[in-house]
Amino acid sequence: MTHNATLPPPGPDRQADQYAPALMTNRWRDSHPGVPPRLLPADSRAGVDLQPHMERFGPPPYRGAPGRLIGEVEAAGLTGRGGAAFPTYRKLAAMAAGRGPAPMVVGNGAEGEPASNKDKTLLWFSPHLVLDGLQLAAEAVGSVTVGLYVHRNLRLYERLGVAIAQRAAAGLDAARVELIEAPLRFLAGEESALASKASGGPALPRFKPPRASQRGVAGLRTLVQNVETLAHLALIARHGAAWFRSVGTQDEPGSMLATLHQADGPTGVVETTLGTPIADLLRLPARAVLVGGYHGAWLPAEQARRLPLANAALRPLGAAVGAGVLAALPGDRCGLAETARVARYLALESAGQCGPCFNGLPRMAGALEALAGPRPDPRARADLERWSELVGGRGACHHPDGTVRFVRSALRVFADEMDHHARGSCTGTSGRPFLPLPQETPLDNTDWR
Amino acid sequence: MLAGDIGSTVEHTMTAITSSTALWYASRATGVVSLLLLSLVVLLGILVNRQGRLPGLPSFAVTGLHRSLSLLSVLFIAVHVATAVIDPFVSIGLAAVVIPFVSAYQPFWLGLGAVALDLIIALVLTSLARAHISRRVWRGIHWLAYAAWPVALVHGLGVSRDLRSGGLWLLTIGCVLAVGAAGLWRLAGAAREVPRAERAAAALASIRRHARPTRQDGPGGPGQRAPAGSGTMGHRVRVGDGGAR
Repeated sequence: MTHNATLPPPGPDRQADQYAPALMTNRWRDSHPGVPPRLLPADSRAGVDLQPHMERFGPPPYRGAPGRLIGEVEAAGLTGRGGAAFPTYRKLAAMAAGRGPAPMVVGNGAEGEPASNKDKTLLWFSPHLVLDGLQLAAEAVGSVTVGLYVHRNLRLYERLGVAIAQRAAAGLDAARVELIEAPLRFLAGEESALASKASGGPALPRFKPPRASQRGVAGLRTLVQNVETLAHLALIARHGAAWFRSVGTQDEPGSMLATLHQADGPTGVVETTLGTPIADLLRLPARAVLVGGYHGAWLPAEQARRLPLANAALRPLGAAVGAGVLAALPGDRCGLAETARVARYLALESAGQCGPCFNGLPRMAGALEALAGPRPDPRARADLERWSELVGGRGACHHPDGTVRFVRSALRVFADEMDHHARGSCTGTSGRPFLPLPQETPLDNTDWR
Repeated sequence: MLAGDIGSTVEHTMTAITSSTALWYASRATGVVSLLLLSLVVLLGILVNRQGRLPGLPSFAVTGLHRSLSLLSVLFIAVHVATAVIDPFVSIGLAAVVIPFVSAYQPFWLGLGAVALDLIIALVLTSLARAHISRRVWRGIHWLAYAAWPVALVHGLGVSRDLRSGGLWLLTIGCVLAVGAAGLWRLAGAAREVPRAERAAAALASIRRHARPTRQDGPGGPGQRAPAGSGTMGHRVRVGDGGAR
């Protein structure tokens, strides 16, 4: 169930995330000369010690009573960085205004998306900023129960355990933080899955209502915020709304973390600002650009080159910033083969609860697999379009919808490639997988625990 | 045969129908129709639960039929109950409609009718409000359908002799056999249910097994059939190992 920070981390028999960031690409320095990055330390060798954090930021500026921070967050225009970009102040205000027992606050660091590393990187390098934000959010909504939901990862748990212990020793935290272990599944970070897991159940998405904000962990009203959102909140509490808005666009202010997958190899997490041209982040040309991860959308590279990383520009094209994943597909890879690999992974990540999802996604993956090969059945493409219609909007969570968005964008962007495959040829020359996927393991019901 | 039997019953008694017995017959007739409708609703409900199909209907239409027939049966039950209460031949009393075992007339058998009615009201109300309540609550209450149907049946068998002879007896036996068989099918289905976590993988595997082979151009040529064991949709690329040539 929940783990106290001092409990031993998950045993070696359980599949554990081995992620340990060693390198950050820091484009912030190029685009903002003389201005330090906001969320990540300037030096990537920084440890978890509290002292440098206190020297740089000072103690978390508590407001002394619930509700006082919310106006500042509203003025800052902070939105959720987990992918949905929902205004943070509205969640805080609804939680603070609610009746009944004090709510629970959980920082969501479970990024199940295999192409995203930004939450892990943030927790690794700036745990105290996240923990500050967690405490400040808890104060803002009048909560005394606080959790941090993170994928099982031995080394990250050790670091977080040290960070939490140092804060306790310094008397910095108003509420004690419980580490809650998230299983390594794509959907584990979904809000209702989080609430179920933190209540002692499996990390499975649930039908709404009730939402976690109405009845979440152990039946308590629960505020779930992405860890990056909390880190921004901790900085807004210190420097104010105007400082936060000094970068980014009018409608989408502030900075954000993005995971970049360059066509020529390296992958890295950068801190950038909303509205930054995609061409400044990815080294183009590329065959196509994936925006927003595996629930996101492919865009033709020529189109992506002219777009900024902002929802205002991306949403009309059926794409979104999401959790900030950008991938430039190398010119020697087949976009259909890449999409088919990911679609297969997404189908297998179905929680198996909703018929349209656990029947529909495997069918779509099968059809894509056919389209990725030579001379597919001519009906496969029409089948795929039809199934996309049938699957969307019919699950307990948005897994089918997100998968359909991803697959459909591939049908649009790789239409020429499909014609090649119909003739038995392929323009891809390398079979090496590009988009990252976790190693495949046999699935069983204990996976969700 | 069935229709003929009901017809002849109506014919025999036609001469005896007066304004007061009309209600009595209406109540009995709607009761019989309600039994038939409720049985169909239970059958369709089990079909929905097992994600079964009816020939020529998409699966959402099975759900729609289940819903429409249950609302129709509510209509018949309402007439059945109203006519029984209004009919001056026996005194049932308004309270006995929903409170079990308080009727002056046949308290036990009518009491079962009240129990069934209460259960059905709960089922219908929670289903109408389904979007606003938690799925767990809705599901828990929907289990009561399996209690409501037999209680309603026993109410019908006990309260009058109508169902115990002739064509209606055959109808009753038919309903019991159909619902019983469907119930067993549901239990058997639940027993061999694929565990949640393995469902998508099972679906993917079965799609690969049933994959349509593509045209074979000949050995070594383009579009060559995939080698056996590569688990295939008829081509050489396995999605799992990452891509095209």
